Amino acid sequence: MNLLRHYRFASFMIVLIAIAAFAVAELDFTTLFVGVVVAMLSWYVTEGPRGRTLPNWASNLLVLALVSYSGFSFVTDGEIGGAMAALGQFLLWLLVIKLYARRTANEDRQRFTLATMLILVGCLESVQFVFGIMVFAYAAAAVWTAMLWRISLGAEGARADRAKQGGFAPPIELAYGRRATPQFRGIATASVLSIFAASVLVFFLFPRFSEVRLGDTGGGSGAVTGFSDQIDLRGGDRIVESRRELFTLQCVDMSGAAFRSPRPLLLRGAVLDTYDAEAQRWTARRSVSGARTLRTPTDGRLTDLARGNASDVRTRFLAKIQMRAMASDVIFSIYAPVAIATSESRTIAIEPSTLLLRDVSVDRIGRSWSYDLLVQPQPNAETLEDLAGGPRGFGDNAREAARSAARTRFPVEAVRPIAERIFADVARSSNIPPEPAADADQSARWLRNREVARGIASWMKANFTYTTDLSAFGRIPGEDPIVSFLERYRSGHCEYFASGLCAVLRSLGIESRIVTGFMAMEYDEQSESYVVREANAHAWVEVRTSELGWTAVDPTPEESLFEIQERNRSFADRFRWIYGNLEFLWNSSVVTYDASAQATIADRLQTGWRATISERIESVLARMRALATSLSLGSAGGAWFAAIGIGVSTAGLAALIIVVRRRQLRRTLHLEHVPAREQHRLQREAAFYVEALRALESAGARKPAHLSPRAFAEALSARNGEVGAAFAAIADDFYRVRYGGISPSRDEARSHVSRVLALRALLRHNSASIRVD
Amino acid sequence: MLGNLPTPKRRTRLVSTGVVYILVIVAVGLAAAGRPNNLLVWVFSFLLAALLISGIVSGWMMMPVRAMRIEPRRGRVGEPLLVRYEIVNTSRFIPAYDIRVEERLLGPRTRAFRRANAPKPLPLEAAGSAWVMHVGPRERLHGEAVFRPTRRGPVRLNEFEVSTTFPFGLMRKVLRFTQSGEVLIHPEIRVLRADLLAKVASGGYGGHRLSSDAGGFDDFFGVREYRPGDSVRSIAWKRLAGTGTLATIERSRSVPPRMRVLIDLRTPTAQLRTADGEDARALEERAIVLAASFLALSDRLGFEYALSIAGFDVPPVTLRKGHFHREKLMSALAAIDLDAERSRTNGLSASDERSTVIVVHPDRVDLGVAPADAWHFTSRQLESLVDAHVAPSAAENARA
Repeated sequence: MNLLRHYRFASFMIVLIAIAAFAVAELDFTTLFVGVVVAMLSWYVTEGPRGRTLPNWASNLLVLALVSYSGFSFVTDGEIGGAMAALGQFLLWLLVIKLYARRTANEDRQRFTLATMLILVGCLESVQFVFGIMVFAYAAAAVWTAMLWRISLGAEGARADRAKQGGFAPPIELAYGRRATPQFRGIATASVLSIFAASVLVFFLFPRFSEVRLGDTGGGSGAVTGFSDQIDLRGGDRIVESRRELFTLQCVDMSGAAFRSPRPLLLRGAVLDTYDAEAQRWTARRSVSGARTLRTPTDGRLTDLARGNASDVRTRFLAKIQMRAMASDVIFSIYAPVAIATSESRTIAIEPSTLLLRDVSVDRIGRSWSYDLLVQPQPNAETLEDLAGGPRGFGDNAREAARSAARTRFPVEAVRPIAERIFADVARSSNIPPEPAADADQSARWLRNREVARGIASWMKANFTYTTDLSAFGRIPGEDPIVSFLERYRSGHCEYFASGLCAVLRSLGIESRIVTGFMAMEYDEQSESYVVREANAHAWVEVRTSELGWTAVDPTPEESLFEIQERNRSFADRFRWIYGNLEFLWNSSVVTYDASAQATIADRLQTGWRATISERIESVLARMRALATSLSLGSAGGAWFAAIGIGVSTAGLAALIIVVRRRQLRRTLHLEHVPAREQHRLQREAAFYVEALRALESAGARKPAHLSPRAFAEALSARNGEVGAAFAAIADDFYRVRYGGISPSRDEARSHVSRVLALRALLRHNSASIRVD
Repeated sequence: MLGNLPTPKRRTRLVSTGVVYILVIVAVGLAAAGRPNNLLVWVFSFLLAALLISGIVSGWMMMPVRAMRIEPRRGRVGEPLLVRYEIVNTSRFIPAYDIRVEERLLGPRTRAFRRANAPKPLPLEAAGSAWVMHVGPRERLHGEAVFRPTRRGPVRLNEFEVSTTFPFGLMRKVLRFTQSGEVLIHPEIRVLRADLLAKVASGGYGGHRLSSDAGGFDDFFGVREYRPGDSVRSIAWKRLAGTGTLATIERSRSVPPRMRVLIDLRTPTAQLRTADGEDARALEERAIVLAASFLALSDRLGFEYALSIAGFDVPPVTLRKGHFHREKLMSALAAIDLDAERSRTNGLSASDERSTVIVVHPDRVDLGVAPADAWHFTSRQLESLVDAHVAPSAAENARA
């Protein structure tokens, strides 16, 4: 039986999907390759020409070895955080061993359970797009396989029942009807689709957390987009240089022309001003209280972020950002944003002290969106005051003063002597203004601070090496990684450069902070826009240069970044945006679906559907009116459209009837396995027989499926000789046409029709005698 | 179509896989509620949806399914009893898969058993339920269940269940059909030693002999005048040569041995003489088995045979042979109700039917029940009369 043969392959496939999915969730390509190859080999070994399986003792021995190895390695090297990954690895290899074991119902059950557990462990580990797709594929395949499994188990059970009787009962013969396999396909497909539809419904209704962000969703490193609102210097040894396209940025000047900046553009996402020496981590101090919010209009007009009307319009330009694969509430902006326009109405919060923007819309349901930012790269004091929500004297706010003071101190004392040495070195080689007098203006100090920062950054660029691979640089116990970076290795990636510069500046009493975000450096001449990828995540330093103003100082050598950028450029980059778009949809619609999105959908369903429908109707009517106007149909336009609508509906209905009747015809004439051309001929030439059957059916004598035409004619003869004889003649004609391969001549075709008409005439008077109730 | 078919009662039963599945759903649900992982939430939703759709699919699938039992009229203790079930899918579109049919082997609830809240079990053991892999829309298929009858007598079948665990094996949808039917279970047949009847019947009163009528193909019977149509091979050529007249040789017909088995059940069960630990009813049943085995052996050896039952008012049966005769006698044995009242009068008196009489007694020999030349056996001799050289499978073939 075909159906039962399919089961073996289907059950193998779901195991394969589970193994691949887990390896993808772990981003472990060695496991992916080795696991999948070993699993695929098992198909050849167990189901191939020799069909060999592992003996039970060998299988048990391997399982025992695996348990011992996994337990031992977890106890010796394992961390609690990696327990799930370890469990997943254990399940994966257990599953591989089971693939080589003998195929019994019990083994099948174990394999199915292990594969499902592996997927569940994967879900706890990752939420990335590819893994999500594989989970969907597994779910669909698992439904299909479970249905086949059920049938297979039924057959096995029935056979085993008989076999248990020791020859007392005869062996079972599987009973099944016609078209069992196609019908199974139909019911399995319907089940898969229904389960998916119902699961989406449950998914939307399941009570959620108030806010879900990408970083919260699981341990998978694949979920991180490259940008982070903290810097952990105890982190991994190697940065994955992901080419994933996150968004595009187009710079348009005030005349509407796109342009390319001579220098890479820094897009700010987070400001980190606190260093925890114990945790060796830079974090952001988020001040929610001071943030101002504003609602952008739906028509895409620019909304001023400043409270007043900033008069400074020099060097302004428009930064158009189109999100592609990033579901985040952070609005990345070039310093300093003065106005914003969004593709749909959003609530935007601006933090005055950092000028960072966030999307704080309650109705965040996640969709692909874009925003335009009006940027003032060199804002004057008035503009900054407007953006900050009003004038603020330095130090007149106690909290701000305390924060400002904190930004001039660095908690690791070991950095101070290093900083002084570096400063001395830098002061010798560059033109740093002298220290202003004690009673000097604050702006002079700020100006000097900026020059010191720039000098040290240049010095670092010249004396330090950029690398993304820190595996060669060991962590020194008791030594802060920033000290190691500055003194010992002088090598690292942008986070180290930024941390080093900020630490040195603070140790020198210069107010500074770290900013994380992206560096737009890959310009696409064709689309006249920057492509920002995950690998473009960057960290740099900002130094205070006025009461409200900050200047970006980037100590990372740009040439190294460009070099890496060029090295990683590939042909696949052209198509990566398709994947990026899908991933964006996944992240924005699934991964970050939370209570607010749920509330928005509920609200829209509750109140908005009527408005939406009427809006849609209105829009269709408006288009029709516009079309009627453009075609100069005048007042008769409505009638024309009605006529076209009726015509299209009638044609659709007629097409549907034709399709249904053809299917009936095919079934009645048993043409399912006949070549298409022959089918058309037979449908045409044997139509008279179908007409005769219809006539008999409407007279109450339906032909049972199990009777041949001739047997049916005999059965009719037993009821009414005349009708039986008339149908027998039609049946003979039908046999000639259908099975004799004879195409009737025109006269013969006419006689077929006349016989059917004669049968109809007979039935008019004899229907009572042939009716079967 | 539906009008002719019995309407079932519907049940849904959770199976062990379903319980485990629900526990898994609960565990995944808790995990999904405990951490902001939407993929886990979707997996939970999927598991929940699968449970829901499983119920809907199996419900829709079983809704139009109807079934009828086609039971055989008789079975035999120790032989498989095959019961067929006709499964009809009256749906126009939905096929049915993994259909299992099981007979409810519980008899009607008697008053005594009702008090104990346990229906009386039927003397049948299931030896393989009927299973149909697929019944397409508007199709009807037959499935075959096998039972092992454990006791002689009429068996009334009352209910059977058509069920499926399709699509995922999480729950069993059951349709319970009530359809009365009766199967008469014949007594067990043991293969007795073949020489046993040969010794009993050889050259004796009931042994092989020639009939007094012509018409056979064995020994010379006589010569008569030729009649048109007589075979050329039967013409008496010597006579023709001597007398010149055509004559035909007639041959005699061989009559098979005749055997009448009398089972002596005149003594009520309670009055039977039994040894310590011996069950009187078991002795009677064994006597019936021995009688049935004698009849089966007679049939196998080509004897003409008949059965008499002493102790019950059973109409006399003439000596015959053949399958239908055998089944008729076996049915008579099967129908004996040992709880009914016995009579002491209907023994077997001497007659002119020229047959060997074998009397089977449950406990001890009573010579008065049959003519003087009858052979007497007791049920305790059964094991010693069984042919030890016949392999079980051969024995079953012999029974068949």
